[in-house]
Amino acid sequence: MIFGRVRSLERQRTAAADKTPPGPLRDYLLTPLPEPSTPVESLPLLAIDIETTGLDTSRDHVLAIGWIPVDGEVIDLAGARRVVLRADAEVGQSATIHGLTDDDLAEGVPPVEALGEVLQALAGRVLLAHHASIETDFLAAACRRAFGVPLLTTSVDTLALQHRLVTEGVGAVAEPRPGALRLWAARERYGLPRYRAHEPLTDALACAELYLAQTAELSLRSRKPLTLRAVRST
Amino acid sequence: MADTELAEVADFLSRHAPFDALPESVRRSLPRRMTSRYYRRGSHLMAVGRDSDDLYLVRSGAIEIRDADGGLVRQGAEGTTAGSTTLVGGNPSRFDVVAMEDTLALHLPAAVFHELSGAYPRFADHFDMERTDRLRPTATGTRSTGHGEAILRVSAREVARREPVTVPLGAAIAEAAQEMTAEGVSSLLVLDGERLVGILTDRDLRRRVVAEGLDPARPVDEVMTPDPLVADADASALELLLTMTQANIHHLPVVEGGRPIGMVTTTDLMRLERVSAVYVAGDVAKQTDVAGVAAVAARLPRIVDQLVEQEVSAGDITRMVTAVGDAVERRIIALVEAELEAEGWGPAPSYCWMVLGSKARHEQALGSDQDHAVIVADDAPEGAEEYVAALAERVVTGLETAGYPRCDGDVMASNPRWRQRLSGWRREFRQWIEQPVSDAVLTASIFFDSRPLAGDRGLHEALTAEVTARAPQGTLFLAHLAKQAVLNEPPLGFFRGFVLAKAGEHKDTLDLKRGGIGAIVDLARVHALGNGLASVSTRSRLLAAGRCGAMSETTAGSLVHALELISQVRLEHQARQTRAGLTPDSRISPDELTALEQRSLRAAFQTVRRAQQALAQRYPAQHYS
Repeated sequence: MIFGRVRSLERQRTAAADKTPPGPLRDYLLTPLPEPSTPVESLPLLAIDIETTGLDTSRDHVLAIGWIPVDGEVIDLAGARRVVLRADAEVGQSATIHGLTDDDLAEGVPPVEALGEVLQALAGRVLLAHHASIETDFLAAACRRAFGVPLLTTSVDTLALQHRLVTEGVGAVAEPRPGALRLWAARERYGLPRYRAHEPLTDALACAELYLAQTAELSLRSRKPLTLRAVRST
Repeated sequence: MADTELAEVADFLSRHAPFDALPESVRRSLPRRMTSRYYRRGSHLMAVGRDSDDLYLVRSGAIEIRDADGGLVRQGAEGTTAGSTTLVGGNPSRFDVVAMEDTLALHLPAAVFHELSGAYPRFADHFDMERTDRLRPTATGTRSTGHGEAILRVSAREVARREPVTVPLGAAIAEAAQEMTAEGVSSLLVLDGERLVGILTDRDLRRRVVAEGLDPARPVDEVMTPDPLVADADASALELLLTMTQANIHHLPVVEGGRPIGMVTTTDLMRLERVSAVYVAGDVAKQTDVAGVAAVAARLPRIVDQLVEQEVSAGDITRMVTAVGDAVERRIIALVEAELEAEGWGPAPSYCWMVLGSKARHEQALGSDQDHAVIVADDAPEGAEEYVAALAERVVTGLETAGYPRCDGDVMASNPRWRQRLSGWRREFRQWIEQPVSDAVLTASIFFDSRPLAGDRGLHEALTAEVTARAPQGTLFLAHLAKQAVLNEPPLGFFRGFVLAKAGEHKDTLDLKRGGIGAIVDLARVHALGNGLASVSTRSRLLAAGRCGAMSETTAGSLVHALELISQVRLEHQARQTRAGLTPDSRISPDELTALEQRSLRAAFQTVRRAQQALAQRYPAQHYS
């Protein structure tokens, strides 16, 4: 039952805060998350995109993180930020995707410091990402490594929302075309501008804009006011 | 390493007025002072009677601005701004701003707007102009750049193209006057070393020297205007114009670091505006060889680029391109005639050089190829053919040098078939009209759009009078023309389902000429020939067809509008290609079109399709079966 699950999330959050040493993660865990009944018009989110060396949280590293706050229906460009993490490991072939070189990474901030910044920005906000499990898994793994405690979040996944929008309602298809759910394809559906992909801040902005377009369409389809409960994935 | 630069937003701002005029450092920090919102189609960004405290900038989608009475003020896509009137004039808003498509908008808070307006006059000027201009909707309704933008963007340094003409302090008045005459200028600067101390103009010489009976041996210091007003090299042309109008002067020295680098006159500023094509035509006529003509003609693409930016209508632009093309062709013909005479060919026989196709219709675009033919008078002496052959050969080469490619179909006077005596041309046209063969009509249609360019116009008049009179009787001929006119189907399939959702799937390009401009031209020709109308330009053919009842005046009006719209999109496309160093063509990729342009184009092509269907009914198939 959803209500119960939310209760347990809140309990887990305070319990985890008690076990966490003072620092950014504890501060984050002490800030209440938005209620599931929060209408999307006033829902605070943080669009996050991370670039990694690969998809395996146990082996691969976070190279850079970009984020941008969304306050209800407004993207706050003033809060946009990108950090590149210092890494001793070589970026290898993944450099061809994100364009970050070993030199960039040598000048990056220490991973714990970067994580602290993300947690500060994320406090009290819902994590927003396209294919959000990558962001939540890598951030959770990083928290476990740095603080010995995993990260607890509520997240909204624009990829999951897109799947719903494409497969439900008038003119829907049972199975989306291959590639139709990718960030850039999803944006095209709404006539959103084309951006150069794989720069974490640009991708976070792209995801935030897509979220506004998706919730605008979902609000139109829904008879009740749209709330966090209706759009979240975890 | 941490940074906060929103490169995509900053790049977007650098592509749109008036943000492009801001210093780069200011522009790069601007995104951080903005927010971004999404508006569903039909929702309000601003509403009459409601307060609004932001400047709105369309990032994607399209908006429509209406005044309190519901009158359309402006429509615009990406890059369009709204809200400045309320920010300047105060709340509440007197306008409705509605999203016509799903729209992503950037919001710039009032405080930042006022700060930028105070610090950067060009930024404020843009919105002042937009307000004065807002009752004049643009032709396509798709572009946001206001009229007069070019004059805002060009700097004094660019306008003052030549080095200033100067004399040292203490020079005699006569010396200064001789210098002005020798350099062909109406003013000069008086220098003390490198420092500018005075200006002397034609008017000073008239009023202070000649009218006063002053000795021209006196030093120039006595009659010059000391410490003249000057303009900074970075000032915009608009600022120069304002300074000059306010001070009632016609010459303004441009200085950089205290040193004069040039002079700007009111005439220079006029040249910036749409009259520039007239100057090019004038300059062409002054050239003494083909290389000179080619050099002047090379200025044309840049002028077209400016005209497109200034939102001059497509019809006006093609007329100017044609005017320059005419000047080039006439000048080359005159140069070749002189050359032939110098080589002992004797004076030119009586002939008429006519231009054909788009050029004849005053609808030439950049990159058009040569289309021409020659009528030789029946009473021209023997040997006239050899003369015209030599003339045509050299003119074709000259035009090629000047940037006009040879005609693919060899419709040029250098082809013996297309230089005939008047009686030969009469036979040719009678054959086309009275015994038409499908293929022949296809090739011949270009000859039904002709205009005399050089030589004896009377020969051309004699020919067209006969053609205009005979054509309406050529039922089979008209049926062939009509068949051809409806063959070029507008590419409506290209637009089928061309909604935002599917925009990414159309990788093909759209040919604006084949089913668009070309189809309208063909329609207009059939109606003109079928009704004995003498007009040649497509626009006047359509309007005349509307007046004589060949089609309804509404249809004629819609087709004129469609032609203007498609031509405008093509011109903008070609201007972009020219800027990128590509050869201009008529194939546009859907990526280049805003949602609003896609919609307008679809409507234009539908108009063409309907007119084609009506024509097919008027000239049914059995006539040529």
